[in-house]
Amino acid sequence: MKLQIIRQRSLWWTLSSAIILSGIVAMIISWSQLGAPLRPGLDFVGGTRLQIELDCAVPSNCAKPIDPALVREVLAAQGLEGSTIQVLGDEKQALSIRTSALSVDQRTQLEKTLTERIGAFDPQKTQIDTVGPTLGRQLFTSGLLALLLSFVGIGLYLSFRFQLDYAVFAIVALLHDVLVTVGIFSMLGLALGIEVDNLFIVALLTIVGFSVNDTVVIYDRIRETVQTSGDRSINDIVDAAVNQTLARSINTTLTVLLPLVAIFFLGGETLKYFALALIIGFLMGAYSSIFIASTLLAWWRVRSGQEIQDGGKDQLVGAEE
Amino acid sequence: MGRQRSILALILVLAIAAIVVLVKVPVRLGLDLQGGSQLTLQVQTTETVTEITPDKLDAVKRVVENRINGLGVSESIVQTVLPDKLVVQLPGVSDPAQAERVLGGTAQLDFREQIPGTEARLPIEFQVQKQKEDELKALQDSKADKAQIDAKKAEVDSSAKVLAELFKPSGLTGEGLRNAFPQPVGGDRWEVVLNFSDQGGEQFAQLTKNVAGTGRSLGIFLDNQLLSAPTVAAQYAETGISGGTATITGGFDTKEASGLAIQLRGGALPVPVEIVENRTVGATLGQDSIQSSIYAAVLGLALVLVFMVVYYRLPGLIADLALLLYSLFTLALFNMLGVTLTLPGIAGFILSIGMAVDANVLIFERTREELQAGKTLYRSVESGFYRAFSSILDSNVTSLISCLALFVLGTGLVKGFALTLALGIGVSMFTALTCSRTFLMLLVLSYPALRQKPELFSPNVPPSSKTQPNKIQPEKAS
Repeated sequence: MKLQIIRQRSLWWTLSSAIILSGIVAMIISWSQLGAPLRPGLDFVGGTRLQIELDCAVPSNCAKPIDPALVREVLAAQGLEGSTIQVLGDEKQALSIRTSALSVDQRTQLEKTLTERIGAFDPQKTQIDTVGPTLGRQLFTSGLLALLLSFVGIGLYLSFRFQLDYAVFAIVALLHDVLVTVGIFSMLGLALGIEVDNLFIVALLTIVGFSVNDTVVIYDRIRETVQTSGDRSINDIVDAAVNQTLARSINTTLTVLLPLVAIFFLGGETLKYFALALIIGFLMGAYSSIFIASTLLAWWRVRSGQEIQDGGKDQLVGAEE
Repeated sequence: MGRQRSILALILVLAIAAIVVLVKVPVRLGLDLQGGSQLTLQVQTTETVTEITPDKLDAVKRVVENRINGLGVSESIVQTVLPDKLVVQLPGVSDPAQAERVLGGTAQLDFREQIPGTEARLPIEFQVQKQKEDELKALQDSKADKAQIDAKKAEVDSSAKVLAELFKPSGLTGEGLRNAFPQPVGGDRWEVVLNFSDQGGEQFAQLTKNVAGTGRSLGIFLDNQLLSAPTVAAQYAETGISGGTATITGGFDTKEASGLAIQLRGGALPVPVEIVENRTVGATLGQDSIQSSIYAAVLGLALVLVFMVVYYRLPGLIADLALLLYSLFTLALFNMLGVTLTLPGIAGFILSIGMAVDANVLIFERTREELQAGKTLYRSVESGFYRAFSSILDSNVTSLISCLALFVLGTGLVKGFALTLALGIGVSMFTALTCSRTFLMLLVLSYPALRQKPELFSPNVPPSSKTQPNKIQPEKAS
């Protein structure tokens, strides 16, 4: 198999643009419906989530499934009409309630009424998350800042190790990966109500750090070939470099995806969408390195009259054996 | 060859050390895994205190610690997060309502006057109180069961109540105290200096005048708990201690003096503390999370191991060995450095398993290329490692940059993820470059027969790299 990536580049560019555009459309729709490009979770907007499960050790406590209508009634009586209620578990014995940020007294009151009306809950299976709205905003800004910082850091490192144009297109490829992942989660938020939390930003940062690897390996090979056979056209070199590193690009992505798939299926609720974001991002990372970062570099070098570069300006660290 | 042998010995020693560490040092589990409550407190600014300095945050931390001690939770931790937050960890607490009530609010420091006729009781009761507090602390440290701790805590509470009944309010509160600091008096003997505001100074003078020379004490209370009960010498009976400055002497050592001073400063700070975040996970839920992440880790590792052997054959097996060593070293490092494992932290570790093979994949792909280009096995392996190094370095550095950004700007859980991932990347550089290389080289050098079988390393090897002819397959452009 030999990929003709340079010849097919308009196909890949169109494909990527289409995915990114539909992501942006999803974000715009999401913005008009939810006031945010993605469905924001508790971490960013603040609120209280109370997850409780009936204590089945208490006799006849688990006799019947939890009735959401009853829960809604309890919440309404406390002036918490706007809350989301989810009855969870195969036996419908668990409950997840998401409200605005509750004070200690409000929360204890709610727990007390729920216990009176529905049954005793097992404190060992309770999960409480309360995030104040100001803190949520702080978490969000610091997350975005971290993302920005790593973009700048990676850009600087690559322009130091390679050349400026390499670094710029590597960053473009990274933006591509992040945009696609964000776009897909925006759609997931609209279609399935999946929220993004703190871990989503962590996932984006991990994608940024890892996805650039494939790009670096391909660029490394391009640079090497430019130095050893500087009389070849950059289009040829890029084609060859991508094909020579193709097995590696696919295999490293695969070895990272395997554990992620394991986390997605077995890792529990908290890590599920974290793993999904990473799976999407890493897949995109491999794709953009092979089809986008490389073709963009070749296109730029041809355009700027550096199609054939005799002798490398940049030195490889160390020479052949 | 000798060099490879000594590296092999080193790896063996490290592996044994890692196993010892794993057996001896317990894993530190985050509250999301062991169950418990993590509260983030934000210190609010007020009109009088417009800025929270690190110094003030420390003082508030002491107040918070003081309040937590009254809760009877073992192994609680309070950390400051600049600029204005405190993170309180309460392991094993599944209903943090009581903690939330106690921890919020402004510190109440006040100076009280001992009621006449209780002179004989005070030293006894104060002694009892201190002893009970020590007993409670010992129980908590020994992780005694909850009923025992609760019973002792009730004793402490009632003893505190008895003590409080020996005093009456004087009207002087923390607002009147401007500063408190330790001051040496020679040797390791320290005293605590109190500075009052103008009004506070007057109130203090009145209070000290009342008790001077009577044998009665003035009581300094923080959140209704007696911190100190100094007496006032008879010479002040006329005017009281005036001038707005006083010292508490009493044979403090450095630690005691600065401890008391910080508590006083914290109590004097009129800043309310608000709980801005509460993350509570029941113990059973934590157990479930541990279980599912172990399953995920084992399955993830197994999938990677199988893939490597199937695709890369003999080198794949060696990479697998390196990967197992990687897991061993990384976990041991976590324990050694006291890294607290959280759920995202475990995810970071599982992820790093997949990333750790990246370096091996790069090397082996390069080795294959060299073999297919007709080089000998030994040269191919050598140049595989050599030429892949620059790519390995670059890709790891970029990952580390992201980890750094996460670590610097992230909060608790996120930091844990970044730290485990970064440690993993560091260890993987070592295992890929040192362990895999040494194993592979030793194998190639010790078993010359292997050199006749490059197909163990790669498919489609041209016959020129072997001494014996082998079946020739059509060249597949890779």
